[in-house]
Amino acid sequence: MKLVVKRTTCRVLVASLLTLSFHTAQAGLIGADQVAPARSPGNDRALVLGTLDRAEVAAQLQAAGVDPRAARERVATMTDQEVQVLAQDIENAPAGALSGWGWAAVIVVGSLIWYYAIRK
Amino acid sequence: MRTNAMPSFWTRLLAWAAVVLLLPGCASLVPQTMDLRTDWPGGVPQQVDLAQVPFFAQRAYQCGPAAIGMAMAYSGVAVHPDALVDEVWVPSRHGSLQVEMLATPRRHGRVSYRLAPRYADLLREVAAGHPVVVLQDIGFIGSTWHYAVVNGYDYATGTILLRSGLQKQQRMSFTAFERTWLQGGYWGMVVLPPGRIAATATEERWLEALLGLARGGDVEATVQAYAAALQRWPDSLPAAIGLANHLHLRGALDEAATVLRTALQKNPQSVIVLNNLAQTLSDLGRHAEALALLDRADRAQSPFASEVRATRQRVESRMKR
Repeated sequence: MKLVVKRTTCRVLVASLLTLSFHTAQAGLIGADQVAPARSPGNDRALVLGTLDRAEVAAQLQAAGVDPRAARERVATMTDQEVQVLAQDIENAPAGALSGWGWAAVIVVGSLIWYYAIRK
Repeated sequence: MRTNAMPSFWTRLLAWAAVVLLLPGCASLVPQTMDLRTDWPGGVPQQVDLAQVPFFAQRAYQCGPAAIGMAMAYSGVAVHPDALVDEVWVPSRHGSLQVEMLATPRRHGRVSYRLAPRYADLLREVAAGHPVVVLQDIGFIGSTWHYAVVNGYDYATGTILLRSGLQKQQRMSFTAFERTWLQGGYWGMVVLPPGRIAATATEERWLEALLGLARGGDVEATVQAYAAALQRWPDSLPAAIGLANHLHLRGALDEAATVLRTALQKNPQSVIVLNNLAQTLSDLGRHAEALALLDRADRAQSPFASEVRATRQRVESRMKR
């Protein structure tokens, strides 16, 4: 029983720390993001889930080689929806990345096509 | 005679079969280009070249920082792609993720707007003077993802103009471009200064984009952007609340109250408007008016009941002082 209490306390602490670091609400004012009827009302559970997602994504970025502070700043400017998208497929989402070798290949293949098919 | 007639019949049948099979095949290879051929979007000029879009040649793998840098520089941010690498590049993936491409301009007070996946929308934005950052798959075998900036097109020659990689002016046919663009789900975005609204913006999607801008933390830009949105969609409740909240954050309490009063006339039942106006009036020292508004907002079944209760407690404790 004691263990359960301890664990819960730990979780609440972790969640509240994350909330403090990521949540940017103004005292007393309800945000514009709460207006859309499709979105769930700002209950505590959604807030905690949201912040956990943010922390998770920041950690994933960090694991992918991004500087820890930059990772937190990068995640902070994403909307909740974007964080969820990224949390799901940070490993698989296409990342634009054409290397120098990619360009070499493009040029080589392009000139071969030009030489054989067009110039004859 | 008969033997001669037979092959010609079969040849013709084969030719027709090929035509019948290939036609829908071609159309499904580049469905949107085929639509453009018969249905050019109304009001869009047939030739545009945004020659002023700056060109940053990319470094190895870093087409993301280069492409977003070009769009941001064109929107008026003094920035060089080298400085954006830390903001938008993921070392282990050797690339940049779309969500991060959208998030980066917000940290510099610019609005990022993701376009609907339509060729016509891309053309419309370019025609409005907004270069479009696109994601392409330019791999011959397998996928090679690449970001480039569309800065023009010419309908007569069927050409799309791009700033891409090491090429200041790349020309691609409409069809070739669609083939590369289709693979990434027709992903495209524009970067705009806060007072401007994308040519293809819908109210809902634009306000979503402004929520992102607000997260970027540039209060002045956010105020400007919400003001422009409210002017465009005067009945929009999220635009009014966003504008008022950021005016409040900037310390312009009177202006915030004016915006909220106008919104309240249009949405007399909105608990959010009532609560925020009450908070703002109380911050101005008008506690009695605030309490009257909170009485109107007092509904147990409202999802914001706890916020309203908290505001009431704050106001009442201020009155006791």
